[in-house]
Amino acid sequence: MQTFSIPKSLKENMIYTFCPGCDHGVAIRLIAELLDEFGLKENALTAASVGCSVFLYNFLDVDCVEAPHGRALACATGIKRAQPDKFVFTYQGDGDFASIGLAESTHAAARGEAITTICINNTLYGMTGGQLGPTTVLNQITTTSPHGRNREYHGFPLKMTEHIALCDGTAFAARVSLDSPAAIIKAKKAIKKAFEVQLKGLGFGFVEILSSCPTNWKMNPVESHKHIREELTKVYPLGTFKDLTEGL
Amino acid sequence: MPNIVIDPKKCKSCYLCVEACPRKVIKISNISGKTGSNIVEFDNTENKCTGCALCAISCPDLAITEVNK
Repeated sequence: MQTFSIPKSLKENMIYTFCPGCDHGVAIRLIAELLDEFGLKENALTAASVGCSVFLYNFLDVDCVEAPHGRALACATGIKRAQPDKFVFTYQGDGDFASIGLAESTHAAARGEAITTICINNTLYGMTGGQLGPTTVLNQITTTSPHGRNREYHGFPLKMTEHIALCDGTAFAARVSLDSPAAIIKAKKAIKKAFEVQLKGLGFGFVEILSSCPTNWKMNPVESHKHIREELTKVYPLGTFKDLTEGL
Repeated sequence: MPNIVIDPKKCKSCYLCVEACPRKVIKISNISGKTGSNIVEFDNTENKCTGCALCAISCPDLAITEVNK
């Protein structure tokens, strides 16, 4: 009996171009597995963001629109309103979702657009070389904060899941991580719920994934998963912050 | 018999599968991969593999392409 095979929604014979140990590969596989489970491959449309997450369309075999930086949810809103029967999702990094696209992200959630968003939070700008981002935790060293994030000078990190969960239009908001096989299985369940709220038309579905960036954190992949488990989850607690499907 | 299939072209030597395997049947080989580090190999000489697929679940590069139970 085969217990694992490569999902059908991924392109054939593709090889991920991410750095060794990057959690993007796992996140994209989880999305592909769920597209397979729900049979949505032919019916899905996505708006790609800017950052390492943009490579989604090289690996996932679904139709995709490239949005300007941060505007993936604005593009996705247009797609969903023009074609309400399609399954629309976005896959964004934290720099795209929480910094330049904060207005688009918050308003899409507040309007309660039936869209699913997966936000990969690696606490810095990964593609451009590891600069300080809105989600960088206090005392974290990045290329633009060589002495660590200082609370007087740089301020505090932004907690997106709590912020999105406060919007009335949000149907599901959860924060998960990918640091161990158990966490990956929990993450898949959360993404599945975020897919379901869209399919049921309940509103905006949001999942923030704490992801490692071994290259810019200057750690090996195993150490960076340990860093997520021991340090990041103190600042960004895991869990479901809003779930409208509970009472149904 | 439980076994896994590793694609050496996809392995980037992150060793997350070595960490994830509860039976420690995935080992670091002597063959260097495309990142310059040694890639992993499946060593099931003691028949310890149970086909749980935890290695494939945690592999970020889908280098473990198939797990059979």
